[in-house]
Amino acid sequence: MSKGFNRVMMVCLWLVLAFVYIPIVAIIGMSFNDTPYGMFPYIFTTRWYTTLFTTSNLPGACWLSLKFSLLVAVSAVVIGTLTSYGLQACSPRVAKRMNSLIQMPIIIPWLVTSISILLLATFVGAGRSYPTMYLGNLIVVLPYVVLLVNARFQEMDRTPEAAARLLGASPARVFWDVTMPGILPGVLAGGIMALIVCFNSFALQYYLAPVAVQTLPVTVFTRIKSGYQADLNALSAIIILVAIIIVVLFSRMGYSAGSLFGMSSGSKAKKGE
Amino acid sequence: MDKKVKRTFNPVSLWTLPSAGLLLCLTILPLVMLLIFSFMNRNLFPGQAWPGWTLDNLTRLMQSKTFWVLLAKSLGIGTEVTVICIVASYPAAWAIAKIVKPRSRSILMMVVILPFFTSQLLLIYAMMNLVQSGGIILTALQALGIEGKSILYTNGATVLILVYEYLPYMILCLYSSLESISDNLIHASHILGANRAETFINIVFPMSVPGLLSGILLVFVPVVGSFVEPGLVGGSNGMMVGSVINSQYKDNMNMGYGAILSCVLLIVLCLIIACVSFATKRAQRKIGGEV
Repeated sequence: MSKGFNRVMMVCLWLVLAFVYIPIVAIIGMSFNDTPYGMFPYIFTTRWYTTLFTTSNLPGACWLSLKFSLLVAVSAVVIGTLTSYGLQACSPRVAKRMNSLIQMPIIIPWLVTSISILLLATFVGAGRSYPTMYLGNLIVVLPYVVLLVNARFQEMDRTPEAAARLLGASPARVFWDVTMPGILPGVLAGGIMALIVCFNSFALQYYLAPVAVQTLPVTVFTRIKSGYQADLNALSAIIILVAIIIVVLFSRMGYSAGSLFGMSSGSKAKKGE
Repeated sequence: MDKKVKRTFNPVSLWTLPSAGLLLCLTILPLVMLLIFSFMNRNLFPGQAWPGWTLDNLTRLMQSKTFWVLLAKSLGIGTEVTVICIVASYPAAWAIAKIVKPRSRSILMMVVILPFFTSQLLLIYAMMNLVQSGGIILTALQALGIEGKSILYTNGATVLILVYEYLPYMILCLYSSLESISDNLIHASHILGANRAETFINIVFPMSVPGLLSGILLVFVPVVGSFVEPGLVGGSNGMMVGSVINSQYKDNMNMGYGAILSCVLLIVLCLIIACVSFATKRAQRKIGGEV
């Protein structure tokens, strides 16, 4: 490969990264800017952070979203792990069908998913409520858990489980003491993904949250409709910091960007689906 | 008859039942609801009597020019965003997969995907701030003596923000494919006398098609159905098909019409998904991968 060609490709890469990161860096910069509306001159201040934690309605919404997402993520982890465990025992054909059905909510636009679930909730008389919002979010985060736990099962050696059974361990004991340690990284990663996706699922909360309940995405949406929000910049900077921590955490757990989304670049996975 | 080795039933497979139930209740049944509500003659609210049936929504849909125009426009925007994403992602994905040191690859990919872990609305907001009038870009241009006008509240802004949101997914998909192409294969092609263009057309591109197609699926489909971006930055002429559907629930409260519009959108998208999956299977067979 010639040097010139490689250099052009690298320039393209840096341009793309610049495109992705300039708005993010700008918003962090603006969160310390005293001049309102993201304008100049740039005067350093931390007063937007003070505003954020004293008068703003964002931390309350953030807290509500966090509690709610945690509940959804924990449920998704339990159901998703069991599903993945069961899928390994199904015939490959059934498992494949079921997997693609579970992945459906990732591709279908969330607007349509939200509306159809709202209609169902209306039909059964529940309407917009916490249970509706809970179930709606659960079904869209479930694929991430199943995907990541499936991947662990495929990499894992299943013979110790058979050995434990042979030695007389009960099914529950085998699951807890042999299966679970093996799939734990997948379970954890799935849980974090579920938490993040649920925390950000605007469309579903916009449609399914009880009237006047303001989760974080709903609050942010209403506020950015009216333009620049100084305290939102401060919150954004904090969220970006959290995102960086999460990404570092995933790297430490041995996850690559592709494996988090079920795209294994290696050739070993995908077998025995 | 069947092959005689019938799989014995494994009770462990019963653990899939809870999520099978959830899928039935929360994915399949809601879609049935879309159909049912499409033919209702008025809105239904909890606690009300059951409304009657009507074909009004269907005739209204057929006569509505706006909807079909917006559907075409949304498909156009979807294509535009997808093409821009592909053009921008290909060199970047290639650079990460084949040029940078293996150690930096996974770090760079994590850097690319990091925006996913922030949030959709935050990304929209960040980009809005950047391009707003009086924002950084226009101020910088002004300093250079160029008077620019903000593109905010135009269709261009919608496309820009959609590209911004979905670019990482395309890079991720392309990277996964490109990375799995063996260096030996490319080397062999060069030794056998192929120039760079020939190698690309005969080796690299065909082997990246599966990744490209999954990228198209992950970008095109959600973009066509987007309603947040056009609503926030598209301005008064920025409507997309998602905006019309959204307004049936948020402004006009016309459940039936909204439901039938969603049905049409879903059918169109399913057709596209089916075509893409068919193409993926063919591409994978062609390059000898697993189908």
